Amino acid sequence: MKNLLFASLLLAAVFTLVANTEAQVIVIANPSVKTNELSKSDLRDIFSGSSSSLKDGSHVIPVLLKEGAAEDEFLSAYVGKSDAAFRASWRSLVFSGQAAMPKSLDSEEAMVEYVAHNVGAIGYIRKEMKHEGIKVLTVK
Amino acid sequence: MKKILVGVVAGMLVLWAVPARAQSLEDLNIQIHGYATQGFLYTTNNNIFTTNSSDGSPAWTEAVVNVSAQPTPKLRVGVQGRYFLLGNLGNAITLDWAAADYKANDRFGVRFGKVKSPSGLLNEIQDIDPSYVWSLLPQSVYPLESRNSVLSHYGGVVYGTLKLGDKLGKLEYRGFGGQRQLGPTDGYLLNQREAGLVLPNGLGGTLEGGALHWKTPLPGLMIGASDFRDNHWTAQLTGNNGALTGTEKVEPFNLPDYFARYEKDKIMVAYEYDRIPVKASLQFPGLPGTPIGLDERSWYGMASYKLTEKFSAGVYDSQLVDHHVALGPARYSKDWAISGRYDFNQYLYAKAEQHFIRGTELGFDPDMNPGGLKPATKLTILKIGVSF
Repeated sequence: MKNLLFASLLLAAVFTLVANTEAQVIVIANPSVKTNELSKSDLRDIFSGSSSSLKDGSHVIPVLLKEGAAEDEFLSAYVGKSDAAFRASWRSLVFSGQAAMPKSLDSEEAMVEYVAHNVGAIGYIRKEMKHEGIKVLTVK
Repeated sequence: MKKILVGVVAGMLVLWAVPARAQSLEDLNIQIHGYATQGFLYTTNNNIFTTNSSDGSPAWTEAVVNVSAQPTPKLRVGVQGRYFLLGNLGNAITLDWAAADYKANDRFGVRFGKVKSPSGLLNEIQDIDPSYVWSLLPQSVYPLESRNSVLSHYGGVVYGTLKLGDKLGKLEYRGFGGQRQLGPTDGYLLNQREAGLVLPNGLGGTLEGGALHWKTPLPGLMIGASDFRDNHWTAQLTGNNGALTGTEKVEPFNLPDYFARYEKDKIMVAYEYDRIPVKASLQFPGLPGTPIGLDERSWYGMASYKLTEKFSAGVYDSQLVDHHVALGPARYSKDWAISGRYDFNQYLYAKAEQHFIRGTELGFDPDMNPGGLKPATKLTILKIGVSF
């Protein structure tokens, strides 16, 4: 009985670990974006301001969340920076005249609404959020 | 030329304001950003940066306000004003930059007006304190006293990124040209001014240059170089409290700069080398011309590490030697520094930094050190900043 309980706890721990290593955020885009997938480095370039287009030529506009678990995970998984470092790097571009700060939205619902109605918009939400009117991009 | 360029940018802002009545402010993506910093300096010997730092000085304040609009996805216009106080320098509001930027695609964009000069590794952001760990960038390459005159120029920048393929990475290019003007109270002219030689209209002229940043196939590694040429500059010169009027002539010179940076996860390592060779002459009627000049060769190596989500630490070794100066402490400046930065949140941060400086070539002026300069100084900096 004790061995069964121990094995069950161990399996639960393993499943939890596996679940947590899978990204809980998905990358979404306006239907005008032609591609269905993009590389992690392309995504990082877009959200760091280095690039404003995808390999298929689509002009894209990154959109951010102001705060929250989805934002933290997106930055960690795909940009490799903390929120403070990420904002600081964008402010470098803004204060040197090289870029405008991407739009920041208060909620994931607002993110879906904005991405659905703005050509070229690309953002991110948690997997479980409703996402009608947008397309989900696979990150390779 | 300056007035024409700023006028063109202002005109573009007005032209877009007319149809903007039909668009909401939201559509124009109008943004306002800013930051402010307050620093405190303390030196064990020698007063630095025209402050009374040997007694502790809070005379280091900066504030910036930035307004921009993006009426179309490819066009952006903006203006940034700055207040800068450092000891006896600045204490004025100036136009940092005012530009219109059209980015056709990732391969080509153009920016014109009063624009940041894209030379070296950090010139475009050297005045943006929220961007980096250090309170003071390596002074050998980015001297604070004369920073404002090299930050920007009136003219334009063309820029873009060329993809070289998966095996060769990407090449970012920038080409720039226009006119630069040093004001009569600029830090570059401080020692000359304190010696009684004043340029009442400042010093300026045309320049052109370029920069290449190779983002190598190794993720995080960038290697680059830049060069720009200051062309023949001439300015009115006065001496002996205005009793003498003459001319200062600066011969054309290039400023080559080589740099590399590697960033991965929490680590950043960078290196930069530049050379500033200047030949000039002071001419007063009836008197023989006086040649002046410098040949500064500078480099630094720096590294930073993000210890926690909120705390980063950094260290650098920064050195400059002026080959025109006789042997002794006045010929060089060697500075190693250790820094820490704490981000309370995305808006507020604080920095602390300790410098160990040998040599007196940089940062020290005779007026603030009437008893003479000691060859070594320790400098402590505390700084708080807010940005939005």
